[in-house]
Amino acid sequence: MKFQPDQLKGNRITAIAVCTVALLCLVVLAREFLSMRKAEPIYPGPGVTRTAMLSDYFEGIKGTAGDTEIYILEGKKPGASILVLGGTHANEPSGLLSAVLLIENAVVEEGTLYVIPHTNNSGFTCTDPQEAAPMRFTIDTPTGPRTFRYGSRSTNPVHQWPDPELYLHVSSGQSLSGAETRNINRTYPGRPNGNFTEKVSYAVTTLIRQEGIDVTIDLHEAAPEYPTINALVAHENAMPLASMAMFNLAMEGMEISLEPSPQNLHGLTHRELGDHTNTWATLMETANPAQGRLRGKTDERLVVTGQDKFYQMAAKYGNLYVPFDERGHPISGRVSRHVTGIMQLAQAYNDLDLGKRIVITNVPTYEEMNQDIGRYLATPH
Amino acid sequence: MQIELIVLLVMIGSFLIANMLLKLPVSLSMMLGAVLGTLVGGEGIPLRHLFEGAFVYLDTMMIIATAMIFMNVIEKSGTIEALGAAIVRRFYKVPAVMLILLMLIIMFPGMITGSSTAAVLSAGAIVAPILMLMGIPASKTGAMLAIGAILGMAAPPVNIPAMLITGGVDMPYIGFALPLLALTLPCAVFTALLLGLPYCKNLDYEKVKTGLNLEVGSRHGFKLYLPIVTLFLLMILTRAFAAYIPNLGMPLIFLISSVVGFFTGEKLDVVKTVETSISTSVPVLAKLVGVGMFIQIMTLTGARGFIVINCLGLGIVMLWIFSITILPAFGAVSSFGGASVLGVPFMLSMLSGNHTITAAALAFLACMGDLMPPTALAGNYAAKIVEQRYAKVLPRCLIPLAFCLLLGLLFLIFSKNLGFLVL
Repeated sequence: MKFQPDQLKGNRITAIAVCTVALLCLVVLAREFLSMRKAEPIYPGPGVTRTAMLSDYFEGIKGTAGDTEIYILEGKKPGASILVLGGTHANEPSGLLSAVLLIENAVVEEGTLYVIPHTNNSGFTCTDPQEAAPMRFTIDTPTGPRTFRYGSRSTNPVHQWPDPELYLHVSSGQSLSGAETRNINRTYPGRPNGNFTEKVSYAVTTLIRQEGIDVTIDLHEAAPEYPTINALVAHENAMPLASMAMFNLAMEGMEISLEPSPQNLHGLTHRELGDHTNTWATLMETANPAQGRLRGKTDERLVVTGQDKFYQMAAKYGNLYVPFDERGHPISGRVSRHVTGIMQLAQAYNDLDLGKRIVITNVPTYEEMNQDIGRYLATPH
Repeated sequence: MQIELIVLLVMIGSFLIANMLLKLPVSLSMMLGAVLGTLVGGEGIPLRHLFEGAFVYLDTMMIIATAMIFMNVIEKSGTIEALGAAIVRRFYKVPAVMLILLMLIIMFPGMITGSSTAAVLSAGAIVAPILMLMGIPASKTGAMLAIGAILGMAAPPVNIPAMLITGGVDMPYIGFALPLLALTLPCAVFTALLLGLPYCKNLDYEKVKTGLNLEVGSRHGFKLYLPIVTLFLLMILTRAFAAYIPNLGMPLIFLISSVVGFFTGEKLDVVKTVETSISTSVPVLAKLVGVGMFIQIMTLTGARGFIVINCLGLGIVMLWIFSITILPAFGAVSSFGGASVLGVPFMLSMLSGNHTITAAALAFLACMGDLMPPTALAGNYAAKIVEQRYAKVLPRCLIPLAFCLLLGLLFLIFSKNLGFLVL
């Protein structure tokens, strides 16, 4: 049978057949896509004293997919406060896992630790078209596997759509490509009357203001070819803290670079939270080849092992900003970098001797986590 | 042979066989290529990935469908004929100026929306009859439309490929206005004069006048132009006052302008106009669905990474060559995809030059991808407007395209020396 290009002739039978197949696909696939709305269980450990919702700080997101849990770990003694933002980008899984690890293990002796594992909760309910990422990945624990969602960099378009051709960051006047309107880390400090994503970032900003958060740490991952990687980015106000933490991390055997927050790149946590609140705003990046443009086959194995033959070639060509050999960048190593970074920022805060302290205990060491992150995740039940 | 290369060859080979030998539509051929790619790549038939890929261009598809309605409305209501007559009457004595002005009009919607499709379907549709009235052959008119729309997409203030590249390397999209103007304006003038001037040098107005419909303009007066005024006004206002006016989006702007057009000129059959517009759009919409599936499967199987890593493994000279060949050629799949998938790694490999000039040049070259078949959004629609096959229009684009590629290459090579353009 021959057809003219772009002119496929059909009849009633072919129309019915095509519609039936499409309907069947829709039923099967709708269940698969909707399953991403079911959050992975998180088992609060001994240190969690209470939980709150992000909407407690801004009513405007109550009952929406943007609302999310805040786990609060309070010490017996009052002191300084740290906010950890995991899951800003749901396709950067070490941010989520680091937050989960803290919730399930950490105990705070002095001060308060706030942890948000799904900062852009909506982003966990979908994947990015064209990226072919797995919907989930599994971490083996001694008592059984635990599965986590691998979501999208942006808010689910079901919750905010359509994108404008151009995103205007109102408070700075900066223009970005339209797709960035759903990237929460381009919308800070947010707006109470803004779009869905801006409302969520506004809620985070309000939490920081109301609770007087001293240090904010936003956890990210980036492609190995991205210049800001294995890095700690800090607002100029947070530089003394970040440089001391970087020194301590180097002493612990973890190499990390310190990058100043660019003054003219707006909407990001390390710039806007530093400019618009009193918090010391920082951000950490690890290397996730599953996000990169050079990667080979995209699957769950790549997310967990971080091993990729094309990235090994790219390292040889000198195209990367991190070393990359056959060991890759496994998720255990990425989470251990984040969690150790958080612990050292807390330690650096105490070393600055500002009149209040935050003391966090019961967190495994860099080396311990680097071996196998699964050992420090709670038993699934 | 690496499995990714085998997958890539199977995908491209099966697409070509299905399209060229079996004469299946591009959309179905791309779907077939994607499915065979997943089978060879050991992924079975991953329905979820095929379905997800199909939605990549949903927003673009809505722009195309609504723009097509707008185009049909202004054509059938007499707006295009009236505008054509008015412009020729006023400017026929200075053909070079008229051609350049018409080229800028084609570019304008692309400049403010960043979309060559929007440019070709709005201003392109308006300008095409004027160019043909002046005696420019349909294929050359199509080429002017296609190149003009792409230059509009590349020109400031909105260049989405540049935004994608700068976003990928954490660079602010600042200082791009002059470099992008320096790239696009010479190309626009060159294209307009090369393709149009030989036919307009000795324009015989009395002869042309016989082909003009002066009646429709005098019958309806200025209100005939209200759909176009609405379109441009909404485009400009929503950009200029983005902080105060809610984002309407191009599809809604096209629809609002179309609704205005139903009441301002010749009487229209609303249902029939919409029906014709949508059935004309369907093949291109289907093509975008197929392309979306294709690129998702390339990513899933590692074929996309295979292409990128093999481009990067070469020295700077080869990177320059690839920037004017592979990068625009990626537009056969998607020019935005080219900017994101190849533009960002290329940019990271060329950081020794002036960053803004390099990013502007790469974005400019990525925009040329909208000429590359089978997707060729700008090209295909330009051809449809002048009622020609794209195969007839594309050869007319080659000299202007070569000029654009050469200019882009010079900007890449001499980016350090062109830093003065960055203000």
